[in-house]
Amino acid sequence: MLVLAFGFYKAMTAPTEATMGNLYRVFFYHFPHASESYIFPYLNCGASFLYLYWRSRNPARALAADAFAVASAEVTVLYTTLGLATGMLWGRAAWGIWWTWDARLTTYLLLWLLYVSYILLRRFSAPGQTALLSAVLAIFAAIDIPICYMSIRWWRTQHPAPVFGGGPDAGIDNAMWPAVLWNVAGWLMWGIFILGLRYSLERRRQARAAAATDDFLGTNPLPELQ
Amino acid sequence: MTIPFETLAQRHTVYAFCVVWLLQFGYGTWVAVHWFRERRS
Repeated sequence: MLVLAFGFYKAMTAPTEATMGNLYRVFFYHFPHASESYIFPYLNCGASFLYLYWRSRNPARALAADAFAVASAEVTVLYTTLGLATGMLWGRAAWGIWWTWDARLTTYLLLWLLYVSYILLRRFSAPGQTALLSAVLAIFAAIDIPICYMSIRWWRTQHPAPVFGGGPDAGIDNAMWPAVLWNVAGWLMWGIFILGLRYSLERRRQARAAAATDDFLGTNPLPELQ
Repeated sequence: MTIPFETLAQRHTVYAFCVVWLLQFGYGTWVAVHWFRERRS
């Protein structure tokens, strides 16, 4: 929280940008959320692979991987929602439009829709099939991440070219770096904290469900969860 | 250490910051409440 507070202070006190004025300060919240929204889907994909691998070999570990996949999918939806929302607000003020169907925005919207679908699938699919179906969906959904990331390099888009690593004319003023780095670090730490808490919550729910099954059947199918 | 709030004169910047705080801390609170409830039950 202290890092986030300091990040906010740095975002407010960074020098004003020459063309956009104070509007560019949205960047200090848009960039961390948009860039970190590419990390959590990979965690979701990795956990889904592990779930499929352990499913028949080690059910207890598979359940842990499934819990991690749920947690990382929810954090992905959170971060992509904020990447979209801050981007749209910035676009409305800078371009005069809320939305345009360019390659970056469209592939990013697709990323958001895929992970919203993942959450809906988990909520409404038939019990017993949920973990397997969502693991397969997660692996397909991850294909969109590199396409979305590379879209501003592969195609001409309304979305600006990469600010970092985008060639000799790209980059920001040195005085703006502390605000970028503090906010990237702050929101990454917050995301990891929320991910851990959500994982812990899901594990407790699994333990309760296993205990309920044990009571019903008179056996304990997953002793590791007790 | 004072924040020059005139840098928030652009309303879209204020909306963006508020959306981020509301969603992040709203979701964080939801997870924390359920975590405590689950621990108690």
